[in-house]
Amino acid sequence: MSVTAQALSEPRAALTQPRFNNRRASVFVALAVLLVVFMLLNLRIGSISYPVEQLLDALFHPSAQDDVAYIVWNIRLPRTVAAALGGAFLAVSGLLLQVYFRNPIVGPFILGISSGSTVMVSLVMLTSIGLGFSGFAPYLNTLASCLGAYAVTAIIVAIAVRVQNGVTLLIAGLMMGFLCGAFTSILTALAEKESIKGFVLWQMGSFSGLKWVEVWVMVVCGGALLASTYLMSKPLNALLLGEEYAASMGVNIRRCRLLLLFLSSSLAGLVTAMAGPVAFIGLAVPHMARLSLGTSDNRVLLPAAGLLGSLVTSLCDLIARMWLSPVELPLSAITAFFGAPLVLYLLLKKGMKS
Amino acid sequence: MSGEPILRTAGLVVGYRAPVLSGIDLDFGRGQFIALLGPNGAGKTTLLRTLSRHLKALAGTIEVLGQDLNALPALDLARVVAVCLTDNARPPLLPVDEFVALGRYSHTGLMGHLSARDTEVVEQSLAAVAAGELADRLVEQLSDGERQKVVLARALAQEPKLMLLDEPTAHLDLKHRIEVMSILRAQCRSQGLTVLAALHDIDLAAKISDRVLLVRDGGVSDDGLPEAVLTSDKVAALYDLNTADFDRHLGSIEFRSDGRAGTVFVIAGRSHAAPLFRLLSKKGLAIATGMLDGSDLDACVGAAIGARVFLRPAATGEVGPVLNAALAACAACDFIIDSGPVGIEADTLRAGAAASGRPLLRLTDTASLTGGTERGYATLAELSGAIDHLPFFQPQAGRTMNVERGA
Repeated sequence: MSVTAQALSEPRAALTQPRFNNRRASVFVALAVLLVVFMLLNLRIGSISYPVEQLLDALFHPSAQDDVAYIVWNIRLPRTVAAALGGAFLAVSGLLLQVYFRNPIVGPFILGISSGSTVMVSLVMLTSIGLGFSGFAPYLNTLASCLGAYAVTAIIVAIAVRVQNGVTLLIAGLMMGFLCGAFTSILTALAEKESIKGFVLWQMGSFSGLKWVEVWVMVVCGGALLASTYLMSKPLNALLLGEEYAASMGVNIRRCRLLLLFLSSSLAGLVTAMAGPVAFIGLAVPHMARLSLGTSDNRVLLPAAGLLGSLVTSLCDLIARMWLSPVELPLSAITAFFGAPLVLYLLLKKGMKS
Repeated sequence: MSGEPILRTAGLVVGYRAPVLSGIDLDFGRGQFIALLGPNGAGKTTLLRTLSRHLKALAGTIEVLGQDLNALPALDLARVVAVCLTDNARPPLLPVDEFVALGRYSHTGLMGHLSARDTEVVEQSLAAVAAGELADRLVEQLSDGERQKVVLARALAQEPKLMLLDEPTAHLDLKHRIEVMSILRAQCRSQGLTVLAALHDIDLAAKISDRVLLVRDGGVSDDGLPEAVLTSDKVAALYDLNTADFDRHLGSIEFRSDGRAGTVFVIAGRSHAAPLFRLLSKKGLAIATGMLDGSDLDACVGAAIGARVFLRPAATGEVGPVLNAALAACAACDFIIDSGPVGIEADTLRAGAAASGRPLLRLTDTASLTGGTERGYATLAELSGAIDHLPFFQPQAGRTMNVERGA
């Protein structure tokens, strides 16, 4: 009998901690290992591929005066790190939005938040607003990008308050995307030829050509944002039941809502400033995390989504670089290949339920 | 300070911009089960949402345990007041015990880790709603009844002193409706929880609550014991009932017949005729019945159903006039049913019935055919079939039925 009693009490004991069973632990380990593998591949493979020993040698001797060290440290490493970070930021941003709207089919790109960033960055890059501040470019772009993200988020939230329908929200997001796109193309038409090329490349989404200073901006700002997000897991879990229940359980809804939207838009804006709009990572990755871990507990899901976002984006970046090499494909094209079908699948599933 | 009311309002006005209810003065003590009754759109939900601070009061004050509601931090409020809303969340991939554990929000630390005591409370809450075996299931996979119990458990896990519920039994079957209400009542009795529940089910509310609030005409019109407040007239006025009546003795709703299908006189008494009355009422027959004692169950049901009831006068009164009136009604109706009472008046009515020449259907255990216009039926089902075949009887859906037969 005591065995039965023990067996009965076992699942309860799991409650005191977020359920961290074997399955979850192995998922986390697998994700981490895969991430390291993909990052190494990203460093190793390129127009010139290096053997692993040579790569490791270059990695551990950054000041060596040879081509390998130069390429690895100044071209491939910033790009690899930025892709991993950007993926994590987008995934976490998307997860926050999905919790906030209680709608699985939202993300920073599909809601037009990335497009809002694009408009503001295009203002800086294509007009003379940024002239004379070239030294501040990463900061100025980031600031502009975040402001654009905040503006679109505010509009989307205002729309969401009036219409409680998930699909309508999607359409509103797409329309915001179109509006921002129109504005951006007008700016492009008016811009000088020299500035257009860089802008067009940036706009297609790519982590290439990032400097260390930009990567450091991502590490510091993004790190702070991710840490703050993790500290919000408890109210985020309460929000799974909707705002009204969350408020009745003691969540300061007004503050929580503002903070959540701020974190989510900032993360998306930060990535857009560096790499341009990257589609579908923010939407698809939280789903992949939920499915692989079988939980909605944000204390588990937030780190998992971050890790998985890094992994998926690293992989997509690798594909973008290598698939039709030496031609480099836009990152958003690759991410859309698996992201867009997923949205369709989710819409169909939702439609069948109702 | 046990005398401190859980909740007190003074001059409260609730609504969305325009007032919906005003002049609300309430005072809730410990351990009361309070039912909030009123028709749809009367403002029950608005009042609940104001008391739970989801909606700002337009005027007046609300005090929770003597403190101003608006001044209470969200976490402190959550330790006193829990809510169950009509919008029941179905979060994906969330096990029942983690769902219930969310109710511990105001008791846990920064990351929401549960202490041993928190875990214990979660278990107790699940046990209180008899849902311990659901702990490892996913919330999205529960049936409506199971989910409602789990929603209750989550609210109980807050260890509240006051629970506000908006139609907790909507969409539930009878078993779960009774179960949910019993759980709440048990919490009132054992934990001193105060429950304020907006309910649709007036039958259940009358029988389970300690106190009822009637909401209508822009205010709380009545507040008191259900036994005192829920009179037939009050309930009819509250819901604007035209075709049904609430019987306070039975604590239930009876449907009135429109009497279009014909008239019937029932010789009744000794509390056997209540099911018969309902049957006849459903057939659309206007009912007259006698001779009954005022204390007879048949008299209660008969009156609630809209029948013309001939009451035996009190001991000192004259039987004659009433009996004569009953005889006249008996002679004027389309047919007569004898439900088998004994007594001098019943025999007099029987004689009158026989003399009137109207069809006489007799409800009896031993089908004793006595010939003439009198026929005997052992069960209500047989009787019901016989009424349908009476020549003059026109069921209310008769026209379409006849068309079908003709075709």
